[in-house]
Amino acid sequence: MTDGPTGGIAGISRREFMARAGATAALIGGSVAGGISLWQRKHFVPGFQEERGLQLPSFALAQDKALPSMAIAHGTDHDSTIRAAIGALGGMGRFIQKGDVVMIKPNVAFDRPPALTATTHPDALRAVARLVREAGASKILVADNPINSPAGCFLKSGLRDVANELNLDLLYPEAGRFSPLELDGEILRHWTFFHEPFKRATKVIGVAPCKDHNLCHASMTMKNWYGLLGGRRNQFHQHIHSIVSDFALMMKPTLVVLDGMNVLMKNGPTGGRLSDVKRVGTVVAGTDMVAVDSYGYSNLMGRDLAELTYIHKAHDRGLGNKNWKDANFKETHA
Amino acid sequence: MKIRNARRISQGFFFTLFLFFAVVSDLRYMKGYPISLFLELDPLVAVATAITTHSVYKGLLWSLVLLVPTLLLGRIFCNWICPYGTLHQITGWLFGKGRAEERERIEANRYRSIYQVKYLILIGMIAAAFFGSLQIGLLDPICLFHRSMTTAILPGLNLAFPSTFYVRQYFHVGAWVIGFLLLALVAMNIVIPRFFCRVLCPLGAFLGATSKFSLWRIDRDPHKCIDCDLCLKNCEGASDPHTQLRKSECFVCFNCIEDCPTDAISFKLLPDLQREISAPAVPARRAVVGGLLGAAFFGFGRASGASDRNYEKKVIRPPGSVEEKEFLERCIKCDQCIRVCPTNVLQPSFLEAGLEGIWTPILNMKLGYCELNCTLCGQACPTGAIQRITIEEKTGVGAAAEQGPVRLGTAFYDHGRCLPWSMETPCVVCEEVCPTSPKAIYSREVTITRRDGKPITLRRPYVDPSLCIGCGICEHECPVTDEAAIRVTAIGETRSRDRRLLMDGGNTGAVRDLSRRER
Amino acid sequence: MTAISTATKKPFKRTAVPRVERIASVVVLVLLAGVAAAVWQVGRHYDPGRYALRIDALKSTATAVEGKASTLQAESADHSGPGGALAAGPRPAEDEETMGHEANAAPAATKSPAAEPMEPAVAGVSPMSPTESYNPDNLYEKIDGRAPAYLGFNCLGLRCRSFAVAAAPDSYIDVFEFAHDTPVNAFGMFALERDPDGKALGFVTDGYASGVGFYFRQGTHYVQVIASDEKPQTLALARALAEERARALPAADESLGARRRLPAAGLVADSVAYVKENAQGQAFLKDVFQATYEFEGKKVSFFVMVAKPGEATAAWASYRTFCERFGKVTVLPPVAGAQLFQAETFGSWKTIYQKDGEMGGTFDADDPGKARGFVENYLGGQLK
Repeated sequence: MTDGPTGGIAGISRREFMARAGATAALIGGSVAGGISLWQRKHFVPGFQEERGLQLPSFALAQDKALPSMAIAHGTDHDSTIRAAIGALGGMGRFIQKGDVVMIKPNVAFDRPPALTATTHPDALRAVARLVREAGASKILVADNPINSPAGCFLKSGLRDVANELNLDLLYPEAGRFSPLELDGEILRHWTFFHEPFKRATKVIGVAPCKDHNLCHASMTMKNWYGLLGGRRNQFHQHIHSIVSDFALMMKPTLVVLDGMNVLMKNGPTGGRLSDVKRVGTVVAGTDMVAVDSYGYSNLMGRDLAELTYIHKAHDRGLGNKNWKDANFKETHA
Repeated sequence: MKIRNARRISQGFFFTLFLFFAVVSDLRYMKGYPISLFLELDPLVAVATAITTHSVYKGLLWSLVLLVPTLLLGRIFCNWICPYGTLHQITGWLFGKGRAEERERIEANRYRSIYQVKYLILIGMIAAAFFGSLQIGLLDPICLFHRSMTTAILPGLNLAFPSTFYVRQYFHVGAWVIGFLLLALVAMNIVIPRFFCRVLCPLGAFLGATSKFSLWRIDRDPHKCIDCDLCLKNCEGASDPHTQLRKSECFVCFNCIEDCPTDAISFKLLPDLQREISAPAVPARRAVVGGLLGAAFFGFGRASGASDRNYEKKVIRPPGSVEEKEFLERCIKCDQCIRVCPTNVLQPSFLEAGLEGIWTPILNMKLGYCELNCTLCGQACPTGAIQRITIEEKTGVGAAAEQGPVRLGTAFYDHGRCLPWSMETPCVVCEEVCPTSPKAIYSREVTITRRDGKPITLRRPYVDPSLCIGCGICEHECPVTDEAAIRVTAIGETRSRDRRLLMDGGNTGAVRDLSRRER
Repeated sequence: MTAISTATKKPFKRTAVPRVERIASVVVLVLLAGVAAAVWQVGRHYDPGRYALRIDALKSTATAVEGKASTLQAESADHSGPGGALAAGPRPAEDEETMGHEANAAPAATKSPAAEPMEPAVAGVSPMSPTESYNPDNLYEKIDGRAPAYLGFNCLGLRCRSFAVAAAPDSYIDVFEFAHDTPVNAFGMFALERDPDGKALGFVTDGYASGVGFYFRQGTHYVQVIASDEKPQTLALARALAEERARALPAADESLGARRRLPAAGLVADSVAYVKENAQGQAFLKDVFQATYEFEGKKVSFFVMVAKPGEATAAWASYRTFCERFGKVTVLPPVAGAQLFQAETFGSWKTIYQKDGEMGGTFDADDPGKARGFVENYLGGQLK
């Protein structure tokens, strides 16, 4: 069916033959090699593939027995009370060195005005951020993954204004800022995590309001880390106490501040009426979240610590000490 | 033997083989037959899925068997192998211009610029594939023919001649759309011979683009040619053999060799480039439009969120299906899974899975349920949209005991429609048929006073979400047959992390981790 | 090819086929044959694991899963009293929390103190377990799906016990005693389950032996005595147990009046059946006894219903109307004060009579003469 070659190969010059046949041969070779290199020989069972993820480093400082690990300050305004509490711990200079990149994690879960105490109060963020800046931090990041729409939460809680005013880097929970996290938790094993701020941060400070919670009784400094997770968080409620105690395993912060100037006593964690809020006028700061939350629950909210399951779980797992009186604590007045 | 006769035998052989595979795609006859062989040979399937998934799934490597000869000989697939091409050739010959007067036939087979549409379609589909939306199956001839056989032709024939293909009659949602589409495409042969192949076929376009590099092609000796144009009389591809050959359009049918009165035409190795148009004639600007349309298809289609948070509860995918976005990267809508499904539960979706998911398989528990010890859909799937999992892996026993069963969704009760829940009537068929052990459906006994004052003890059923695999047999067997009192929805499926219902228990990953820690 | 002049127009068909083309054609055909052979080969050989589960994969399921009871029992321990039976509507949520614990406990009803122990005076058997007793609410625990049928004949309860056979250590005998509200209901359930090939028992009117079991009705009770195997000594003891139960249970045949009207002559042994409702598909035929007879060399089915005179007349008339609609009816001359009609419906014959509070007749007969003859003989008193 082919004509025999009549001069040269196939009737064309050797050079043209090499070019044309070579191109075809290269394509054949390329597709065979490509096909084989991309070949998926084995099936997998979707949903059961091995999961891997990042592990967070600890941001906590080495313990110094000489200095208090917890401070309780009573006062009338956020700024002076928080300053008093941090001062009682030995000042912010104990925690922040010059050049540190500090991630401050407020609780901005809902789009509520500050007076309702469903979110970290802007004055609390301002006070902590100023102390951090004064200690010489080169950069301050503020990040949270709220329940309500992120832009609305930061705007309406007043935290966006504080960030603008003090030139803090406010990170919204954009899709690309999450990575899978791996944890040896009781329930929390693999989850999508708001990783972006921790790529840069050298120190982490949690600033949490003290509020009632419909399911786990109270949301304080431990529960605050909920806002670092993404994905289907609504499943957490199936094992809320285990999850909250897992947060103490997941995050080892440099410092936590529990803002008890105003406490949301009922209809938490959202609140909605001023009648839900009680004026207490206390700020607790410390390096052990479990101790800080224990104090908050029994002394700020005035409830029975026995019912706060997650505190006991965290204590039993060695993630902190629920007997805050055993801690080296200092109580002061602004 | 003349090569044209060899070609006709080849066409007949492959057409018969295709029908054979279509008929034996049934648990009774399937044995080891490679029922998806044509799809695995299809290089467009392999290349497009390689673009979306960066992998070539199992049997798709067979496509090299077709790709390599195309690079040597041109589009031999179209007129030697393709069963869908053969269908159009036969119907065109019977009802179209195939037997018209000589002059008319010559005119019908001249190249027209509309034939470049298929390249635009291909460019659009490839562009969508780069974004992760696999749409070649809409028009790929093998996918299209398999889909038509499965959903419309075989069930339709079986209605006319009962028990020919099925033990129990199969039904397919939207069969008429697919059936009439096939008829319309076949009917278009009356207007333009091999309309589908010349105008629409993306596989033809792909092979046409590939055959730019083929070493052999039809060549006309201008010294012998008397310009009678008789070579066009039976030209299948409308490739203009009477002048500069449009290499990418030629189906290598060899009819022109047969029809040339002066033997001016031959099949030649590397003839003069002057006498051919090597590449498809697609102006760059139109190619860009094709690409933009494909990108728009992806963007607009996906913008509904149907493959994301706005997923439809009815999009319950077959066992072993990959996560939804990956599913859209792999599923070619050939509906082979639907063909082999032994219970008729698999149905071609229409818009349930979004624009991109049209004709992809979903479960319809009214028509069937997922048979526990069966993974035929995965066996048939050529692209791994449904992975070829074993029964062991599906049911979570043996080596797969630790990871647990593959779940398709979760069953929920509609108390208002349930006989023991609201009609004082004993039932719990659902509990009886629940195939897991322990049963995912359990019941609580309650004694109530009936309307007539007599006491009655009823067993009211509940679902244990940590055990439910979403097979849907409860829904299928529920006596409330129009809208069952228990219905499965997609939540809780294992293939997707975002669609799990339980933090543990349902989240088999967590259970696996827990069991590992315990050891 | 070059031999042909370019100027001459060749005839319509090409004849010159180059050798290389012939070879190529043959190669193609060989390739096709190769594909066919390969498909055939691949089709023949396949891994059976593709279609069915490997048996040893089931080893992983050898251990039971705890805490996943299939049916959670009702909370109240005693359903037998009318007062305790009612817990209307769905249970409050607090109760559901605790349900799991109850599921692990043995069903409360089987421990009911009301159960009077079954202690037959038969030598050679000894009780293996306490007497169990069940009421209509938990009957299904013992007999599962058969329970609704028993409850349909107003079963009031079940007592049962297993007995070991002293002479054969592996053998045992189960005794089931179903109490019904009336003898006729006990008979109805007995007749419903009757094995047509069973052998009549001498010691009761309604009873038979079948396989390893003895089944009979005595008074308001339907009793089943079932041996574990066919060893002669086990079967003998089972029969002795059955006789003992028949003696121990009170005899009562009231409401079985219609039963007695069935003639004995020509009765096919143990063919008597009781149909509570919808006999022969007719709503007006209730509490019907029917049986098969050998009559003049033919099998004849005959039924009797006893009712109030007005109801019997009405039923007879309804039956006649039914037959007129679906067949042909001939009214026959009265015999011994009874009115009669004969009818052919759906290809079979029947003769139906009515006299005072009794109606009945032959049905499903293929011979009209025999159908009529049997009824006339019955009414005339020739059949006893």
